[in-house]
Amino acid sequence: MNFFKRAWLNVWAKKGRSVLLILVSSAILMFVLAGLLIRSAAVKATETAKTDAGATMTLSANRQAAFKKMQSSSSSSSSKSSRPKLTLTPVKLSDAKRIAKLSNIKSYNVTSSTTANAKSYETVSTSTGMSDSSGGGPGGMKSTSSSSGDTQINGVTATALTTDFTDNQSKITKGRGIKASDQGTNNVVIEKDLASQNNLTVGDTMTIKETTGSKSTRKVKVVGIYKASSTSSVSAGPMSTDPANTIYASYTLANTIKGSKYTGTADSVTFNVTNPAKASATKKAGNKLISSKYALSTDDASYQAIKASMDSVEGFANKIVWLVAIAGTIILALIVILMIRERRFEIGVLLSLGEARWKIVAQFFTEMLMVIVVALAIAGVGGQFVGNQLGSQLVSQSTTTQTSSSRTSGQPGGSGQPGGGSGGMRGGAGGPGSTTNSTKTKNPDLEITVSAVDLAELGGFGLAITFLSIMIASGGILRLEPKKVLIS
Amino acid sequence: MLRTEGLGYWYQDKEQPLFQDINLEFEEGQSYAILGHSGTGKTTFLSLIAGLDKPREGDIFLNDRSLKQIGLTNYRRHDVAIVFQAYNLFNYMSPLNNLLTAMAITNARHAGDRGYAQRVLNDLGIGDELLTRNVQRLSGGQQQRVAIARTMCCDAKLVVADEPTGNLDEDNTKEVIDQFQRIAHDQQKCVIIVTHEPDVAARCDHQYRLENKQFVQLD
Ligand SMILES: Nc1ncnc2c1ncn2[C@@H]1O[C@H](COP(=O)(O)OP(=O)(O)OP(=O)(O)O)[C@@H](O)[C@H]1O
Ligand SMILES: [Mg+2]
Repeated sequence: MNFFKRAWLNVWAKKGRSVLLILVSSAILMFVLAGLLIRSAAVKATETAKTDAGATMTLSANRQAAFKKMQSSSSSSSSKSSRPKLTLTPVKLSDAKRIAKLSNIKSYNVTSSTTANAKSYETVSTSTGMSDSSGGGPGGMKSTSSSSGDTQINGVTATALTTDFTDNQSKITKGRGIKASDQGTNNVVIEKDLASQNNLTVGDTMTIKETTGSKSTRKVKVVGIYKASSTSSVSAGPMSTDPANTIYASYTLANTIKGSKYTGTADSVTFNVTNPAKASATKKAGNKLISSKYALSTDDASYQAIKASMDSVEGFANKIVWLVAIAGTIILALIVILMIRERRFEIGVLLSLGEARWKIVAQFFTEMLMVIVVALAIAGVGGQFVGNQLGSQLVSQSTTTQTSSSRTSGQPGGSGQPGGGSGGMRGGAGGPGSTTNSTKTKNPDLEITVSAVDLAELGGFGLAITFLSIMIASGGILRLEPKKVLIS
Repeated sequence: MLRTEGLGYWYQDKEQPLFQDINLEFEEGQSYAILGHSGTGKTTFLSLIAGLDKPREGDIFLNDRSLKQIGLTNYRRHDVAIVFQAYNLFNYMSPLNNLLTAMAITNARHAGDRGYAQRVLNDLGIGDELLTRNVQRLSGGQQQRVAIARTMCCDAKLVVADEPTGNLDEDNTKEVIDQFQRIAHDQQKCVIIVTHEPDVAARCDHQYRLENKQFVQLD
């Protein structure tokens, strides 16, 4: 392996040239590494988004189909006097159970809402009026409608599965939330303000009056107290006066209050999807299991927004990697071509000594390899810096372009606390979620760190660039006639 | 040892060859000088017998084996050592490493033997202080002596040189030619030197002049 020794002697003897080559190669590799780092950070961020951002799929009545049916029935019936009624079929729980068996479903939550009137307690009225004092005037008893009560009852499978609680808009402060084991019981979870106004605490019972049928009264037991975010407007029913008047119960209780024909039904069922990336496929599979009276809709907007932004970052990073790699190969090839012209006497002497041409190419390759190894070390240090600069630049750009399309409340990281006035938190946790469309999706910061895998990949690129540039340039070596050296 | 048979060469025009139908024999232990006017084809002829190019006509035989048969790379590695007018040496190495490199490439008997290379260099007047100095910081005469030392270190029985004294002064020229004579007589090799200096030619055992496409023996 004499060419190895020659390569070393040459690199060592021509230090100036070697340093120059190292600098050029370092610059090229630094940009390749920056691209690689951004790309792997984007991939990682998308992976995190997959698990953190989550996605849901909701089974509910097919409004469109119901609306069409209503229209056709109204046009067929000649009597204009009777207004057609939009009848929404309640969702059957048996359907929900079948869908829940699909592989991508993590858990599901049944929602069945109704209203009732306060009997043994006073509802909270919005604080713009007279009922400031806890002594309580007749605040809030605005609704005398027979079908709508002043108390909103949200029947669920478990409070922990509702978006209000997963998004931290609502929090259990005392006792516990509604659980699956509460099915068939009269257990409820009430809001803090309602509890303090009526001196209710965990273990107490309260009486509600049904608004339909026999309008009978019913005793319910408080098992937990929650605090609702003041900005939350999710639970606002049509006649509800204040979010504090929302009580959570098992969906079976809500169904019982609604009437016997509602047994085994729900307003809607929300499924938590394991892998948001496959949400639409799961929806397709789910649609096959249900009749057209129902519809499945997915909400993976939060995941999609992050994914879209990370996809664009990843795409850009890929372009950097390849553009720099190609440009770098061309630059290095040109340098090597010039180097070979300058060294044609040396090549001629080697050929006249009977050295094999491939060994001469191998010598040049080894020389470049020595240069690249040093350049790799330099680029490993510098690439992190360049990657950080480029990465933050890219994220801020893609965030502004993606925000407009997002309308989601859930955030990856999930530790976002409402309040404090500012939404942005380090680590990409969201601010207070709200159902309004103005919510900003904050992208997770790209975490740029040089891993062994990145360095290995960079090494691969370095090797490929060196190999290709030497291959391109070696045409000169392979064609050089030793006689030309002799005669010139 | 080396024999040409009907050797002919031309660059562009077949009708105007540089030389034609050349039948010569070169023997071991002898030195040969090739004289001739500029542009007559001396270097071209040398490149053929050095295995740097292929003849257009005829053939060259080394101990009755055709160069085609031996293969040019193989021939260059084992059978011939070449000294050019300039740029003989690897400019990023010391004299010692130049010799060791050549010995390694040609797989010489003394390959890897530093002491041997050192002795040969010392013999040619390259003192110890010059052995590990970069060859670019040697004088032209010293560089040419290193190139000659290289041919001595290698086992090739044929040594060809193209104007090896072209860049040297009178004293260095005399020194260099003496070394070539030693290679021919002491090492029993066949030395062929192209030169345009009659003094140099006169010191060789045999002289040829290339004129009118033919080699004319002068001695
Ligand atoms: N590659 C080439 N293509 C075409 N013609 C060439 C080429 N190389 C040399 N010649 C021509 O061939 C002739 C012989 O060249 P060569 O170098 O062999 O001469 P020479 O006898 O060595 O001359 P000098 O004494 O000046 O070194 C010259 O006329 C030269 O111009
Ligand atoms: Mg010549």
